[in-house]
Amino acid sequence: MMKKILVANRGEIACRVLRACREAGLKTVAVCAPNDRGTLFTELADEVVMLEGDTITTTYLDQAQIIEAARSTGTDGIHPGFGFLSERADFAQAVMDAGLVWIGPSPHAIEQMGDKMTARKTMKAAGVPVIPGEEVETEDEAEALIALKEAAERVGYPLLLKASSGGGGKGMRAVSSPAAFEEAAVAARREAVAAFGDGRIYVERLLSGSKHIEIQVLADRTGATVHLGERECSVQRRHQKVFEEAPGPTMTDDLREAMGAAAVAAAQAVTYEGAGTVEFLLAPSGEFFFLEMNTRIQVEHPVTELVTGVDIVREQLRIADGLPMSCSDLHLRGHAIEVRLYAEDPANGFLPAIGPLTVFRPPEGPGIRLDTGVREGDEVTPNYDPMLAKLIVWAPSRDEALERMRRALDEFVVLGTTTNVRFLRELCDNEDVVSGATTTTTIEDRWPNGWAPQRDEALANAALACAAAAESFGMHRNSTSSGGTDRADGPVSPFATLSRRYP
Amino acid sequence: MQHRFNMNGDEVEVTLSKTDEGWVWEGVTVNRHDRGRLHVTMADGRTALVHAAKVGDVWWVHLDGHTVALERMEPGASSQQHGGGLVAPMPGKVLETLVEPGETVQAGQALMVLEAMKMEHRIVAAHDGTVTAVHHQAGEQVSQGAVLLELEESN
Repeated sequence: MMKKILVANRGEIACRVLRACREAGLKTVAVCAPNDRGTLFTELADEVVMLEGDTITTTYLDQAQIIEAARSTGTDGIHPGFGFLSERADFAQAVMDAGLVWIGPSPHAIEQMGDKMTARKTMKAAGVPVIPGEEVETEDEAEALIALKEAAERVGYPLLLKASSGGGGKGMRAVSSPAAFEEAAVAARREAVAAFGDGRIYVERLLSGSKHIEIQVLADRTGATVHLGERECSVQRRHQKVFEEAPGPTMTDDLREAMGAAAVAAAQAVTYEGAGTVEFLLAPSGEFFFLEMNTRIQVEHPVTELVTGVDIVREQLRIADGLPMSCSDLHLRGHAIEVRLYAEDPANGFLPAIGPLTVFRPPEGPGIRLDTGVREGDEVTPNYDPMLAKLIVWAPSRDEALERMRRALDEFVVLGTTTNVRFLRELCDNEDVVSGATTTTTIEDRWPNGWAPQRDEALANAALACAAAAESFGMHRNSTSSGGTDRADGPVSPFATLSRRYP
Repeated sequence: MQHRFNMNGDEVEVTLSKTDEGWVWEGVTVNRHDRGRLHVTMADGRTALVHAAKVGDVWWVHLDGHTVALERMEPGASSQQHGGGLVAPMPGKVLETLVEPGETVQAGQALMVLEAMKMEHRIVAAHDGTVTAVHHQAGEQVSQGAVLLELEESN
């Protein structure tokens, strides 16, 4: 049995895992890059090992340093969280070779699912439906472009180009017509090579008007593989999810059963172990197609936890110890919604923002869960992903959950850094969100020319009067006006692929 | 008491009148609630508790679910925009420079490719003109607001 766990991650998900370990009576070790010193997750661990290095590659992606940290602290197992090393088969193998428990699926399962083209083939063989498309295995750039172009003609436009090693929108391009093909293919390849060192691209038909539905699965070593129902995560901007819910607003019992069975078959096809997510596109026709499997805990796992009553991270720990999972038959109760709070400017193409969290007051009250790695007074730097927090609400019905989310977002105060709170709040009033008719293009369809906050002249005037009065009252003398954004972190690249994907 | 703010690029003047407990402007009454909060009664009668905090010159105000950032302009100061410069919209890395100094470009033409936050961004010419300077080359890291190139508008 494991007694001490090292969490090879940072921020919000490190906090989530460290807390689960604490609840399970396990000792914990955090690893921390120099520019993360003093952040919240380091305070939740029993021990902190400082990593040396000034880039993500030399810290959170440095396998040798992390395994050495585990060795030197007498750690029994490593939990990778999501992003970073969580889907690196070579890391999983290195952890096991070091005599430690890897809290996740086997390196073989990670490999089978991590390479998109291999995954498509494996799924086809297992009888799981995949999106119509073609794989192109050629490594040579010129040859690959010709082969891709030919494949594109057969698949038909509009289509999607996807990097075989890709994720999180990187190395992915939608192409509407043959004229735009070449430029898109070159750009997708370049992004893929830069991010993953692998320029292989495949072609998939673009299924417009589809929903993104994913099924959470759990599998243990006793041979049990179950699904925990679906999450709908259709609402995305730049191919990154911002609004997730469970159950799916248009899901039926029959469809859940069919998709659940397909997800379980997908997991069994790679002898999966632990927690994983099988992502599907649900077309307007009612057909569903395998997209990919994420072989790790997922950002949006809390909505499933709230409607099933299962603590997924706790189950991961149990399963890694070789114990049978503790959850049995699926019982869904009520409705849960998660929104991702980002430091970004939704009125300016969702560009990431940085700055101090001078005031950070999350909402409270019934049915509210906040998973975050920051607190008031922290600085948002360009070093890492700009997600500040996940706000999750639960209520007996979907309508009430939406009402609760609106109230919670209205209460959420973040001053000092631009965030997407207002965007999320307006999203809760969006016709398609309210009716549940969301698709992967809901945001572009509703705001084709970009989002701008709804005008409210009375409110704008009141804000001006408040700022003026605050100045006249001398309130700035109470403010913690850190102002600057320079935390002297050195030349760290925030863009050096902080994760293979942050779905 | 008079204050000037930059609100989304527009300069707005606010002249407060004193009341017993606070200030009034354009039918908006503002009183102090506690250390970091104000109580506001809007012109249309709505009331709210308002969080306010100043960071640098910017007042951040949270009011009824809305967050507004207002840059206070010191008396005598004027809003200044960088003339013909094309600036980085966020921190990132220059992937490719597509033009050289002296080159004539057309509005909408891509001048530089920037990689930031996992995505590629194109820096495009806002108007026809001549490139007068290229300040960053491929591979260089740039911070938010860094002037990437300069463009002289053609007449």
